[in-house]
Amino acid sequence: MSAELFSVFYQFADVFAFLILSAAGLAIVFGMMGVINMAHGEFIMCGAYVTVGLVNLGVPLPIAQILAALTAGIIGMIVELLIVRRFYKRPLDSLLATWGLSLIVTQSMLLIVGSAVRGIGTPEGSFAIGGYTFSTYRLVLFGAAVAVLVGLYIIFMKTRFGVIARATMQNAAMAKALGARTGRIYSISFGIGTALAGLCGALYAPTMTLIPTMGATFVVESFVTVVIGGANVLLGTAPAAVFLAMIRMALNASYGQIIGQIGMLFAVILIIRVLPEGLSSVLVRRGR
Amino acid sequence: MALVEVKGVSKRFGGLTAVSEVDLTVNAGEVHCLIGPNGAGKSTLFKLIVGLYPPTTGSIFFDSTDITAERPYARVQRGMSIKMQAPSVFKELPVRQNIQVALQERLSGAECAAEEERLLALLNLAEDSGKLAGALSHGQQQWLEIGMALALQPQLLLLDEPTAGMSPEETYKTGELIKSFNAQGMTVLVVEHDMAFVRQVAQRVTVLHLGKIFARGSLEAILEDEKVAEIYLGKTHAH
Amino acid sequence: MLKLLEGPQTLGRGRIFWSCFLAVLAGALIYPLFADSYDVGNFAYFLIWIFMALGLCLMWGYGGMLSFGQTFFFGIAGYGYGVLAINMGGGTATIAALVLSVVVAMIAAGILGYFMIWGGISGIFFGIVTLSATLVLAFFLGQTAGPEWHIGPARLNGFNGMKGMDPLTVGSFDIEGSALYYLMIALIVIVYIALRMLVNSSIGNVIVATRENPQRAEMLGYDVRKYQLLTFVIGSGLAGLSGALYTSWGQFITPSSIGLPAAAMPIVWVAFSGRNDLTATLVGSFLLLFGFQTITVYSQQAALVLMGVLLLATVMLAPQGFVLGIGKLVVDWWSRRRRRDEGTALADTGRLQSDET
Ligand SMILES: Nc1ncnc2c1ncn2[C@@H]1O[C@H](COP(=O)(O)OP(=O)(O)OP(=O)(O)O)[C@@H](O)[C@H]1O
Ligand SMILES: [Mg+2]
Repeated sequence: MSAELFSVFYQFADVFAFLILSAAGLAIVFGMMGVINMAHGEFIMCGAYVTVGLVNLGVPLPIAQILAALTAGIIGMIVELLIVRRFYKRPLDSLLATWGLSLIVTQSMLLIVGSAVRGIGTPEGSFAIGGYTFSTYRLVLFGAAVAVLVGLYIIFMKTRFGVIARATMQNAAMAKALGARTGRIYSISFGIGTALAGLCGALYAPTMTLIPTMGATFVVESFVTVVIGGANVLLGTAPAAVFLAMIRMALNASYGQIIGQIGMLFAVILIIRVLPEGLSSVLVRRGR
Repeated sequence: MALVEVKGVSKRFGGLTAVSEVDLTVNAGEVHCLIGPNGAGKSTLFKLIVGLYPPTTGSIFFDSTDITAERPYARVQRGMSIKMQAPSVFKELPVRQNIQVALQERLSGAECAAEEERLLALLNLAEDSGKLAGALSHGQQQWLEIGMALALQPQLLLLDEPTAGMSPEETYKTGELIKSFNAQGMTVLVVEHDMAFVRQVAQRVTVLHLGKIFARGSLEAILEDEKVAEIYLGKTHAH
Repeated sequence: MLKLLEGPQTLGRGRIFWSCFLAVLAGALIYPLFADSYDVGNFAYFLIWIFMALGLCLMWGYGGMLSFGQTFFFGIAGYGYGVLAINMGGGTATIAALVLSVVVAMIAAGILGYFMIWGGISGIFFGIVTLSATLVLAFFLGQTAGPEWHIGPARLNGFNGMKGMDPLTVGSFDIEGSALYYLMIALIVIVYIALRMLVNSSIGNVIVATRENPQRAEMLGYDVRKYQLLTFVIGSGLAGLSGALYTSWGQFITPSSIGLPAAAMPIVWVAFSGRNDLTATLVGSFLLLFGFQTITVYSQQAALVLMGVLLLATVMLAPQGFVLGIGKLVVDWWSRRRRRDEGTALADTGRLQSDET
């Protein structure tokens, strides 16, 4: 019995980790700046390629993954500086601009790198409970997702940067008037967002085929999580991921991945009809 | 006869109660002024009446029908229209088209064009009719919005600070305009800070303070009420 | 009725504009007499996509609803045409298949639109919900390779796509080559004129008013949700028309015409052209499709990179769109010259815009 319970938890953890890791970066950028980064999938792809490249050079996997996340973060800050920064007052335009960027990056990668890159294979290691075998790496992913949430909690609730960032999020003009350097805050937040995207790619790189269009695998999950999670990463994205993970887990188990995804989409469309401002509006209201 | 009845209406925003247990009756055919200091809840009450906010408690009747659950467009179709406090026009559309959108449901063809010209002239906007509404001055945008509200020929016209930013002559003109529409049978509920204007148009006055009805009656009675003077008129007594 | 052809919502008015329009139309009509049939077929192929662009222009430029779901409806009608044409048998039934598949796309738009619009979704979220639906449809169709995925005799066939449907046929006459080309021209003229009349009508007035200020539009007594839904259904239905025509043109359709990067293409065309005007969208989309097709012959990736660059450049340099921007410049220059020549500001004929005097 406990093995079955664990198996259910394991499946939940697997989907939950996927949702959190793919959505966290997008949610931060959206929550802070109201910008949807359409090149989010490309930052994920970047993280995956850097990881695989470094591992192929002999760098140990965990270090390669951290370096990959940092790379994506730095590239993100450059993109923020060159492109996104101009569009904070025009969120739709920032979406279009980053979509253009996404097209450029994916297709150039296809041109330059081609579609075949040697993968690195999932780290071995599994354990068995009562006749079921589980992959250890999947649990590592879940651990990473939880660590990301805790890390974000600490950054945004416990640090000076976090206080200023939240003030900026509430009222950018006021924060600016009080001396916050909103430009730098946006730049760092964007960097954190893309670093998390890179981390997502880095973590999933061992489990999937590397192709330049791999980012698309993650975008639906990240979009829908942000749509129902609303603007608040901690109070919105995380509960949204729990909720969606439950739906998906149930559907995946009985009908397979694709029905799981379709079901999740339907659930989201129903939810936006009922809760137009997303889950976080309900949670925040209750919280008062 | 009561045209609008607000019964026990409250509106809370999180922890703040902007409107609290308000009962208000606007009779058909009167010009009713709603006054009160900043933040009293006047604009919120207006938005509750037109349905932009759902009330937290209470109900609202229009022409003896309970409209509490109705969406704003349905209330407008029943015969009310509003000019909001912050100018709210179609900024990227020409002035003339702003008026057209308001008129086209009621009139069409040559009639519509004639009424359009009449309104533009009335609002002093004839010369600027080709300009984008967003390019008008603040005051002109207010005029335009009043024009759109009038174009619907409502039974009940709600005006939230119609004369803010107008010169004394313009304010006087607006007052006369309101009186002329009232003479043709239109009921008007107006929020104003300008006491001279209130004196010019109001038949009845209601004072709102901290979300509650504080006093009501004729302007003279209100002006003599010392408590009212304390909360509000103290600073504007100069008029 | 004809008065609605011109109005504040559409640039291009007066004798000069309509003369140009007729000249282009005449050129398009006699073109097959001079070109070989392969080129005519290719031309018909560009024209297929124009409907999707005009539909997006209506929703985005006029209605303020940025839908990223054009290829979703393209796919529904495209696959719908395939399924219906295969199941109903070829011949004249293909015409019914075309009409029905567009209707199915419009119904889908009605349902999706209802949930989004009544749920109060707008702006960015409107885009990402529609895009999510699009990508999920593409993933789903990509996974239907097995023989169990079929509707009647029509196999969905996963990534390889559905094939084997008849092209549009009347009796025993296949509408192909020049006939298809003339059908496209006729449809484009009809759709273009109809959309012009729609946006200049009183309904169009409400549609643009809602884009500008939905709250004010509601305070004038309009149920803005209904107008938004109408706009969404028409715009998406036009994408459906493109999809059904596409399937019948090539007698196949694959999930790659739905997912990324296909979903981005209508956005690029309309943004580059100028979303606020139907004529600019018509002209710009055609130019882009032509250029894209020319480059694709050498490298599809390069063509897509170019599309990405154009999108980025549009947003950074000319957010209103390049074609629209250039059009306005030309007209400004033209009217300034005329004004100088005639010494009068009253040169209304041929002016693209009347509201700047
Ligand atoms: N949407 C809202 N969310 C939260 N609080 C609000 C909202 N609208 C109004 N309030 C608050 O409700 C109170 C009443 O506001 P309201 O605008 O109704 O006042 P008012 O009487 O119109 O004032 P003024 O004369 O300045 O226009 C104020 O404290 C205001 O801050
Ligand atoms: Mg107010």
